[in-house]
Amino acid sequence: MARTEPRVVVLTCNWNALQSLDQAGKQRFALPPGVRPLKVTCMGQVGSSAILKAFEKGADGVMLVACAPEECHYEFGSRRAAEMFKEVRQLTALLGIHGDRLQFTQVGTGEGANLVGRLQDFVDRLASLAEEPIHRQQPSAIGEGAAD
Amino acid sequence: MNFQPILQRTHAYLCADCGKCTGSCPLARVDPAYSPRRIVERVIHGDAATVVTDPQLWDCMTCGLCSTRCPSSVDFQRFIIEMRAVAYRTSERGVYAHDGILQEIMRLQTMNVHQNRTGWIGDELRTSDDDEYLYFVGCLPYYDLIFADLGVQAIDIARNAVRLLNRAGIAPMVSNEERCCGADLLLAGDVDSFRKLAELNVHMIEASGAKKVVFTCAECYNAFKNDYPTYVGPLPFETAHLTELLAEELEAGGLAFEPLSARVTYHDPCRMGRFLKVYEPPRAVLAAVPGLELSEMEDNRERAICCGSTGWINCGPSAKAIQKEKMRQARETGASVMLTTCPKCQIHLSCASRDLDAGQKIEVMDLTSWIGQALG
Repeated sequence: MARTEPRVVVLTCNWNALQSLDQAGKQRFALPPGVRPLKVTCMGQVGSSAILKAFEKGADGVMLVACAPEECHYEFGSRRAAEMFKEVRQLTALLGIHGDRLQFTQVGTGEGANLVGRLQDFVDRLASLAEEPIHRQQPSAIGEGAAD
Repeated sequence: MNFQPILQRTHAYLCADCGKCTGSCPLARVDPAYSPRRIVERVIHGDAATVVTDPQLWDCMTCGLCSTRCPSSVDFQRFIIEMRAVAYRTSERGVYAHDGILQEIMRLQTMNVHQNRTGWIGDELRTSDDDEYLYFVGCLPYYDLIFADLGVQAIDIARNAVRLLNRAGIAPMVSNEERCCGADLLLAGDVDSFRKLAELNVHMIEASGAKKVVFTCAECYNAFKNDYPTYVGPLPFETAHLTELLAEELEAGGLAFEPLSARVTYHDPCRMGRFLKVYEPPRAVLAAVPGLELSEMEDNRERAICCGSTGWINCGPSAKAIQKEKMRQARETGASVMLTTCPKCQIHLSCASRDLDAGQKIEVMDLTSWIGQALG
């Protein structure tokens, strides 16, 4: 079944990222319909497993939006997130999930229009990828032997 | 919920309440609140509902030491696994270690992923697309990334396994379509995902035409040999641990090692030892290295102490206390390195080492990686 709108989980931190997204809303910018923003306190608290969980639950892409490193509310959080992102990129590469399905971006305050632009670019890129990251159906020969 | 079938299947009904299990349990030794005997008795006496919701249900390492001593032959590991499966279906969970990343990687592999997991195979290694042998790598490519900070260099195990196989005249198949064996999901109660992974692996191996599957991970080997037949039926191929195959080759004279001057000790992983009774092949491989001295720990073979953690769940202070005792025994042998045949034992014990003083710890390495040095 073809889906026209990619499903995207957008994780924002509580500070620059959320503020920018909030500002975009106030300025009446529309987010692409498949986007699901989810706020965390700081991007530095997000682990690789949360990103993989999004793919397991059917996301076509995951975007992380954090503060610029020098503006991080907790000083080290945005840097920590960048390190985590490097690890999760390697893990998803092993799992065969296309690198274009993940994006990490850092924003200042009041960058609503800019953030929506980046989000739209990300969604456009996802739409151009041919297949879902992980097909939900199993190969046909599998599953016949399952007991109970 | 009717718990009678679990009690019958695992012979828990025969429990004589003697307490030998609790007396031998390495966890009970460091955590007096934990008692395998009491857990079984609670289920027998109709208190199973509280066991299902008890966080202690997830503490057992399923090391199997209790079962080797039980006069009634209660299969306590199977009992725990089946109780966890019930608990999992009611949304109970153990505490996932490492932020649950390993469970996540395992569950993603139940889906139709196309992994890139064979990038470690360099030009110096000979593999094949059509051979009698298939080398089942297990989660080593993932461990190599996730546990890089522990310095375990997990992928070296795979590289050296292929080197050793090549030297024995075998160019094994290695598949990108291989999935995690799923053992750790079974231990975490997620039977459905385990069964899916088992089916995918069996199908992949069947389709490859391999007749014999070789393992370097004790957990994968045990999952295939003991759990897969129970959950997905008999396997249409043979299985062997690399050390079993090497021991045969050494006896037949098809393989020889260069001298290595060292004193080592060998940790029997629960899966290789108590579960599969593979005690001698790893020792035979080590004995074939000229100049090598194997010094046994106080508790070895069927008495070996567990590495302290399994299934990537409920790792905590008790695990650390068990690992500390393991390290003490290893150091007392005077060995410079403790070898094992399970990458997870290596990971857990290497992790424990970080918290110990220099005088309390010992280097932990996989036997396959270590023996690779003896190839010259």
